[in-house]
Amino acid sequence: MKDMIPVDRKMSTMQDSKISARGVQVYYGDNHAIKDVDVDIADKTVTAFIGPSGCGKSTFLRCINRMNDTIDVARVVGDIRIDGEDIYDPKVDPVQLRAKVGMVFQKPNPFPKSIYDNVAYGPKIHGLARNKAELDEIVEKSLRKAALWTEAKDRLNSPGTGLSGGQQQRLCIARAIATAPEVLLMDEPCSALDPIATAQVEELIDELRQSFSVVIVTHSMQQAARVSQKTAFFHLGNLVEYDDTDKIFTNPQDPRTESYISGRIG
Amino acid sequence: MTDAPSDLPNSAAVSNGHASLLSENPMMKKRNAAETRFKLYGIFALTVGLAFLIFLTVSILRNGIPAFTQTVVNVEFTLTQEQFDEAESKMLKTAAYTDIFVNNITAQFQERGLDVEFDNKAIERLLGKVGGDLRSFYRENPAMIGQPANFELSTASRVERYLQGKLTREMVVDGRFLEAADLDVVDAMVGAGIIGTAWDWNFITGTDTGVDNPGGAGIGASVIGSFFMMLVVLLLSLPIGVAASIYLEEFAPKNRWTDLIEVNISNLAAVPSIVFGILGLAVFIQFAHLPQSAPLVGGLVLTLMTLPTIVISTRASLKSVPPSIRDAALGVGASKMQSVFHHVLPLAMPGILTGTIIGLAQALGETAPLLLIGMVGYVAREYPDSLSSGLLDPNSAMPAQIYTWAARSDEAFFEKAWGGIIILLIFLLTMNIIAIILRRRFERRW
Repeated sequence: MKDMIPVDRKMSTMQDSKISARGVQVYYGDNHAIKDVDVDIADKTVTAFIGPSGCGKSTFLRCINRMNDTIDVARVVGDIRIDGEDIYDPKVDPVQLRAKVGMVFQKPNPFPKSIYDNVAYGPKIHGLARNKAELDEIVEKSLRKAALWTEAKDRLNSPGTGLSGGQQQRLCIARAIATAPEVLLMDEPCSALDPIATAQVEELIDELRQSFSVVIVTHSMQQAARVSQKTAFFHLGNLVEYDDTDKIFTNPQDPRTESYISGRIG
Repeated sequence: MTDAPSDLPNSAAVSNGHASLLSENPMMKKRNAAETRFKLYGIFALTVGLAFLIFLTVSILRNGIPAFTQTVVNVEFTLTQEQFDEAESKMLKTAAYTDIFVNNITAQFQERGLDVEFDNKAIERLLGKVGGDLRSFYRENPAMIGQPANFELSTASRVERYLQGKLTREMVVDGRFLEAADLDVVDAMVGAGIIGTAWDWNFITGTDTGVDNPGGAGIGASVIGSFFMMLVVLLLSLPIGVAASIYLEEFAPKNRWTDLIEVNISNLAAVPSIVFGILGLAVFIQFAHLPQSAPLVGGLVLTLMTLPTIVISTRASLKSVPPSIRDAALGVGASKMQSVFHHVLPLAMPGILTGTIIGLAQALGETAPLLLIGMVGYVAREYPDSLSSGLLDPNSAMPAQIYTWAARSDEAFFEKAWGGIIILLIFLLTMNIIAIILRRRFERRW
């Protein structure tokens, strides 16, 4: 019975959904962090997860590329499929999954290596380039996509940690897209950035939508409204409402969503 | 604003119940006094520490430096062809050479108006087997026959100590080593101006001698022994220790067993070194039948002792690598092992190196376990001639050699012990400098 439901729903949403989650529960030890979340994330759109701190939006995001596996006490129940394949299937290697589902973290975390090596690392370990010229090309393409090429092209061999905060975050985005992922997860990518850098990253997210399905967790409702087409509102581990961004912000169905976006809770 | 009086700047603020910023309130006074006191304690502690360090360094240098020099007798000596032929035709050839030497010295004394009677025996007590030295010199360099040659003959250690004032005539008991009358000869030599000091290479390059020859004892062989031991320790404990820490820190599940292992490693680091010595004796020598007194066994024992230190410091430095780096590596699809070896380990390298050097320095200075496996000073009698003999032939190590010298009854060895300490400290300093340089180099790679 329980198996039947996701299959049915999958059939109906297969056409345009890249990621579909059904009945996802996450436990941190005894703490029930995510409660029965069902969501379908479309390809080539930006989906924003909003909600107050500790509501589980980051936790859910980390389920999509199985980063929660690295936390000993975390346990994930339920069904998450990318292109119809269950990513929690025992046959799935999380390392391979993470090549397909890139991630950008809250704090810019470039490797303490050169800018070039930061971007080239992913393609190198996944064998995406057959020679140096191809690798150079991937690095340039990724940096261009991340809008960092003009600033970084003359200092590819200087340390990535020497860049400014906003540049570091764009470097991390370049690093994530260099492995040619299909989904890009962003966990509050702008929380450590100033408004100008934020604007640059947001512009970038909008461009990335052409090639990827982007899922972004954000604390800023304005940001969600600016960059996303779909918005999911999480509250206390529940997915309260998931709809087009316009609808969430102008005509929310759930009273909790309305209270949150009007600033009464959170 | 509140209804403050208009003449606020002066004492009004205080009378108003607000404290003035211009005067210290009692609470603040106490806090400042505590801070000043604390700073003074710090300065006092540093001064005391520094004073002890200076005292220690000075006393080591003052006592140890004489070990690097030796007292010598400079003699200009000419051997004629007839004397050579005559001496070579005799039964006791070296005795003949000694006779020639004694005659020569006596002649020199008489030139200066010094009148001392002495014989071959006295010369041997003072300068060792002079005849043999002379004979081998002329047999090897026949061209020097008939030419004036300068000889630098090292004196017995008792002569040296007599000249330093550490040995007085009252202390001399006539015997095999020295007679009171011999000291007259020494006085005469001083009068003739033929006594001087020379750098004692033998102390640095030589091997240990018997208890009756402090002058000839050198630390060279023990230095080689220590070197081979450190080689064994480094080659075993660094890879094993680092690999074990990586496994424990990054891969092992956190459960009761790994907790138990962790507690045990911490405890092992605190086990007295002599316990490791007993363990080495029982396991490596009595059970595995490895050769006694071999630097290989010493190295194995010290490896056991060093491992916990390396494991603890490596784990600490792995822990201090920010988790965001691991996330970043895993996020781009690196496997666990790639994330550790490509990103975490290079960042932890400076800490690992520091821990390793501390461990090695500890091992270099360790004495007790070596005594138990037979690496005592007096076995360091010869240099190894190959890598395997360096590892397997009986040898000593610097601290054990120093201990052996310090334990000998002949006071002349004490000087050697102090000198040995200087060499040991030079080694430690060199190792620490190498560690600092390596650390810098790794850190510069961000």
